[in-house]
Amino acid sequence: MFLQTLITGLSIGGIYALMAVGYSLVFSILNFSNFAHGTIIMLGAYIGYFLISWFYSSLAISLLGAIVGAAIFALLNVSLAYIPLINRKAPPLYLMITSMGVSIFLENMVYVTVGSHFYSFPEIFKKSSVSFFGSEISTLDLFALIFSFIAISGLHLFLTRTKMGTAIRAASYDMTVASLNGVNMNRLIGVVFILAGAFAGIAGVFLGIKYMVYPTMGWITSKAYIAAVIGGLGSLPGAVIGGVILGILETFVSVYISSVIRDVFSFSLVIIFLVILPAGLLGKYLEEKV
Amino acid sequence: MNKKKFRAFFVILLVAVLTLTACSEPLQQSDNGNGSEKNGVEPIKIGNTVALTGDVSIWGQSCEKALRLEVDKINAAGGINGRPIKLISYDNRGDSIEAVNVAKRLIEQDKVVAIIGPAMSGLAIAMSSVAEENKIPFIATQATNPQVTVPQEGKVRKYAFRTCFIDPFQGKVLAQFAYHRLNARKAAILYNVGDDYSAWLAKYFEDEFKKLGGNITNKEAFRSGELDYRAMLGKIKQNNPDVIFLPNTQKEAALAAKQARDLGIKSILMGGDACGTPDIVTLGGSAVEGFYLVNHASMDDPDIQDFVKEYKQKYGEEPVLPEPVLAVDALYLLVDAIKRAGTTEGSALAEALENTANLKVLTGTLTIDPKTHDPLNKPAIIQQIKNGEFVFVEKFVTN
Repeated sequence: MFLQTLITGLSIGGIYALMAVGYSLVFSILNFSNFAHGTIIMLGAYIGYFLISWFYSSLAISLLGAIVGAAIFALLNVSLAYIPLINRKAPPLYLMITSMGVSIFLENMVYVTVGSHFYSFPEIFKKSSVSFFGSEISTLDLFALIFSFIAISGLHLFLTRTKMGTAIRAASYDMTVASLNGVNMNRLIGVVFILAGAFAGIAGVFLGIKYMVYPTMGWITSKAYIAAVIGGLGSLPGAVIGGVILGILETFVSVYISSVIRDVFSFSLVIIFLVILPAGLLGKYLEEKV
Repeated sequence: MNKKKFRAFFVILLVAVLTLTACSEPLQQSDNGNGSEKNGVEPIKIGNTVALTGDVSIWGQSCEKALRLEVDKINAAGGINGRPIKLISYDNRGDSIEAVNVAKRLIEQDKVVAIIGPAMSGLAIAMSSVAEENKIPFIATQATNPQVTVPQEGKVRKYAFRTCFIDPFQGKVLAQFAYHRLNARKAAILYNVGDDYSAWLAKYFEDEFKKLGGNITNKEAFRSGELDYRAMLGKIKQNNPDVIFLPNTQKEAALAAKQARDLGIKSILMGGDACGTPDIVTLGGSAVEGFYLVNHASMDDPDIQDFVKEYKQKYGEEPVLPEPVLAVDALYLLVDAIKRAGTTEGSALAEALENTANLKVLTGTLTIDPKTHDPLNKPAIIQQIKNGEFVFVEKFVTN
């Protein structure tokens, strides 16, 4: 039972982590919480779903299409909605409110164009679960966990080993100094959003396969946002750790305490935790962040 | 300045015209028995509030067609005591406010003697005050919430009736079916703590199952909007129950079924009438194979075969169940009450409806409980999903 609970917690936490990475990436550069991220995840899920229904269950095409599509949406989002504000030196609070607007706009666009139907991905894996010391691991979870791990490691390599990655890390410490040193800010922001969008595409497809595709599915990311806060907003390893912690905590509370009071209990713990460590596990504490 | 004013005026005019046309357009009216009026016999007007547009219109449109079919049959056979029936159907769009407007229009403008519909509890509760005030009885079709006829314990709305079973009854049916037919002794429940329908249905099931001598191994909860039930299901798995009851919407039940199968749970799954929509199969895939659910009507029910045949002959398509058969039951119920009352006056009609006993209707025999205005021991249909189709298992009567 303990092992099964741990596995379930890990697989839920893995999804939170994947989503939290997107939040943290944007937050580390622009110091605002991009609430449109959940909506981009939703769009990624839709793209993935329609591709897989057109191309007869090819997960590769669906995943690739969702990554590219969501990255394009994220880029459009930043260049149409955020860059004009950033160029006029708007404070992060305005960006956050704009992101809420973008999120509501996109969600309703889906309502009027695609409709409010629920869609379910076709069954991709023939065998739905594998046995592991008497516990069941879903094949999808295993695949998702491995794929996410590879993607996050790839991102980590990109940030530490490339010139652009170094520039992004520099800008996350101080944007002004970075731009004084010759970093093209608009381009850098674009790259960050493309990366966040790509992760949104991955998260969207996995969420869609695991659960369902529908217009308000982006709201599940509120939990991922909380995971990012626990780990320390703006910190990439923090986002991963926060996601896993939240997933495991929730699962253990509902198994060993009570599923009825699960959220009451686990979120009281989160609040207590943040009172003690306001910047999260690995975050840097800055007052102006929104 | 003038130009601006003119433009503003023009815009207001345009908006007004658009709103007016938008309001009047969906109100459809179907006339029946016009021919008889020439003979000087005044028809009996029966109102029908039904969703002809909107999300639930596939059922509503079929319901209106079924009623028209039956009214034509009754009129061809001489009507009620020689008077033909005139059916007046208005669109309520599945909306509570619109339901009130439709009820007012039917009663005040068309002067109907009674109303058939609506199909949803929210709409029925909203329009019940209009019916009460004007002393016009209405017979809801698929409104399963107890409060439609009994707003509070021990008090019944005099003019509200229905032909469907109610939620406590559903819970009872499923518990008895699980215990007697599936020989289940251990049951687990996974319900939505944030939804009245789900929470109460879970409780009704639990009470009955325990009364029968069964054991509820787990009663686990989740919250609306949540998608992952594996933690709760993992806990359920440990006790290895015979059945898992999912009193949820088709979306939640399909997800829970998928996750249960992923965890290697082999228990029989069952759900309430909210699962009875075909998309549970598209959403749940192979995981919902063998899923049992309770429903109001089934295409395979031997009692309704003649009706289905006639409907297909007239409209060239199958009726969309269950609303049409429940509406036809309501029509028979009403016709019988008018005959027995000998008048179409509202309070006499309500009393006659209240005292209906052992009336032969489309789906079986109907007895109205005078204390609650709900059908007594109405048979429920148990269906099972096999090869992606709803298959009729049996017509189940509680004891």
